Amino acid sequence: MIDVHALTKSFGPRQALSGIDLHVASGECIVLCGPNGAGKTTLLRILATLARPTSGAVRIAGLDPAQAGVAVRQQIGFLSHRTLLYDDLTAEQNLAFYARMYAIPDAQARIDALLERVGLTARRHDLVRTFSRGMQQRLAVARAVLHRPSLVLLDEPYTGLDPLAADALTSLLADLTGEGCTLLLTSHNLHSDITLNRRVVVLNRGRIVYDAPHTDVATFPALYRELVQESRIKNQESANGRMGEWANQESANGRMAESVDHASRITNHASRITLTHNPQPTTHNFFRHVWAIVAKDIAAELHTREMFSAMFVFAVLALLIFSFALDLRGTLAQAAAPGILWATIAFAGTLGLSRSMAREQQTGGIEGLLLAPVDRAALFCGKALGNLALMLAVELVLFPLAMVLFNVSFLRGGVLLAALLGTVGYAAAGTLLAAIAVNTRAREVMLPVLLLPLLTPLLIAAVKATGALLEGATWAEIGGWGQILVVYNLLIIAVALLTFRYVIEE
Amino acid sequence: MGIRNLLNNILAGLSVVMFLGAFGMVFFYAPREATMGEVQRIFYFHVASAWVGFFGFFVTFAGGIGYLATNNRRWDILALSSAEVGLVYITMTLVTGMLWARPVWGTYWTWEPRLTISAVQWLLYVAYVMLRGSTPDPEREARFAAVYGIAAFVTVPLSWFAIRWWRTIHPQVVSAAGISIAPKMLHTLLVSIAAFTLVYVALLRQRMILEQAEDRLAALRQHDDVALS
Repeated sequence: MIDVHALTKSFGPRQALSGIDLHVASGECIVLCGPNGAGKTTLLRILATLARPTSGAVRIAGLDPAQAGVAVRQQIGFLSHRTLLYDDLTAEQNLAFYARMYAIPDAQARIDALLERVGLTARRHDLVRTFSRGMQQRLAVARAVLHRPSLVLLDEPYTGLDPLAADALTSLLADLTGEGCTLLLTSHNLHSDITLNRRVVVLNRGRIVYDAPHTDVATFPALYRELVQESRIKNQESANGRMGEWANQESANGRMAESVDHASRITNHASRITLTHNPQPTTHNFFRHVWAIVAKDIAAELHTREMFSAMFVFAVLALLIFSFALDLRGTLAQAAAPGILWATIAFAGTLGLSRSMAREQQTGGIEGLLLAPVDRAALFCGKALGNLALMLAVELVLFPLAMVLFNVSFLRGGVLLAALLGTVGYAAAGTLLAAIAVNTRAREVMLPVLLLPLLTPLLIAAVKATGALLEGATWAEIGGWGQILVVYNLLIIAVALLTFRYVIEE
Repeated sequence: MGIRNLLNNILAGLSVVMFLGAFGMVFFYAPREATMGEVQRIFYFHVASAWVGFFGFFVTFAGGIGYLATNNRRWDILALSSAEVGLVYITMTLVTGMLWARPVWGTYWTWEPRLTISAVQWLLYVAYVMLRGSTPDPEREARFAAVYGIAAFVTVPLSWFAIRWWRTIHPQVVSAAGISIAPKMLHTLLVSIAAFTLVYVALLRQRMILEQAEDRLAALRQHDDVALS
């Protein structure tokens, strides 16, 4: 099921994984151990297709994730440190959203069964943010196995679980193994049943230092300490250029995994694996995924109303302040109204876009989206359309208010078209850049710094077009301004569709 | 290493010679413009720096595409270096433009389309430079910067065509009717552009060497950290 050969992963000059070779057969259950910073999570994230290796070969079910990402992701269930759940959706809505993303045919029955299994049936209509850490973890487990994956990767799955819930999880994992599912889980617990009678792989400083079945609970902790300590000494020797071949690592207890010809085994193994199903990206699936994301965002907003409220109040305040400060009348008001209106939309929009991506980032929702077998362009379209809907909802209130304050009628076909084009460009560029800004250190201020210069030509065109149309010009008469709006939209949407995956993938 | 140093020295020497030559032509070869007088000579620096500024951003754009396509750090270094050097040139364009505009248009600044787009472009690349160093993961930062560099370059054609799409008070040296300046002025302009381009190449090369040295230093520090831990 898993074949990894000479895998390395670097974060700048820091090497997190160094020459990992690992073979996991179908239906096998492996426990991955190691001290903090050993590279366990990095390895799991690469296997889950959330991170790209720096070098080396990875095959999941015989497929290269870089070439067949959608098919590979359909096979994988991943439980991360973060729950990958949306706080502002109910337990059932979370699972229903992921069911749509994975195109699960018997979704409702599967959701009912899993909620029952993790003991959350009674709380199915409660928002996830009201759950305790343990309950969230149980729901996260249900999310990870919802689509019946053939490979389940679990990063510290017992974190936050009470003893009863931990037993239930152990039972669930046993069932999964019984069904032929391959399991790879990380754990720090060296004394429990989790590691007993399982194949244990110990990772230290990015290298595998032990790979063998574990049968003795009494001696394994001492062996583990010895392995980690010895690996540290070896590593130091390596750094000083005095180390011999790392492959002679059998000194621990002579049970170090043998070096094998992984390349040929990958090829042989690939021919034996048959995927349970191999979904092909289709236009229908694309739009279904887009709609699922838009519906999810709207549902989350309906529960909280936090983004709409914040944008609305901010926009109204800005309009009132401009109106009060400038106190414009007649033709002056008509000349200034488009600029004031678009400045208001720009600042309110930036506020909403920032929050929209922060919501995805908060509990790892964006990783949940990345794990789904979904075209990255569909993720962009879904998020951008959700943001567009929100901005249009704010404009629906803002325009009548501006009409009252500035005594100007915006209810003309051309003006509304200019407003729509300007808002589409704003939502598209804003979605792309918000995904960047949310990952930067100064995320609170970075979005306007990145976004507003990029959008200034669009905003100028929108202001000028709106102004000309208010003065009675037709769409044909506004000339270059209309062209700027259209061309800018086309260019920025094309750039966003082509580059969004580079922004959201790790 | 010796050949590389020799190349750098030749490039730097050639840049200085070309720049001094252009400087001499601007003040002693190009004729005095009849309407604007001596202040018009700033035109040769203004246009040349604008050209190199736009070209630098094209290189950033191309470097961004190269990095996303290959994941090769060299493309990222090229993009970063070109953006920083290009930013200096666009700043020169804005400053020389304002100095020229004051006596000719009676104001340092006006919201004329091309000026506006140039200012926006300056802001875009300030944002690009701010984005660098703002992400903990260097690989991710390079990807973010590549995407932003590509998106930002979208404004360059808009800037280029703005002067033709809208009525403007900005002079057009090159139009459909041909080149509308005297031959001696044209010679001086071409030499200025060549000199500024050569200086850009020399600066770009030095900046890339510096970035590569920083990468090697970071790798050595990491190596030391591993050895000492």
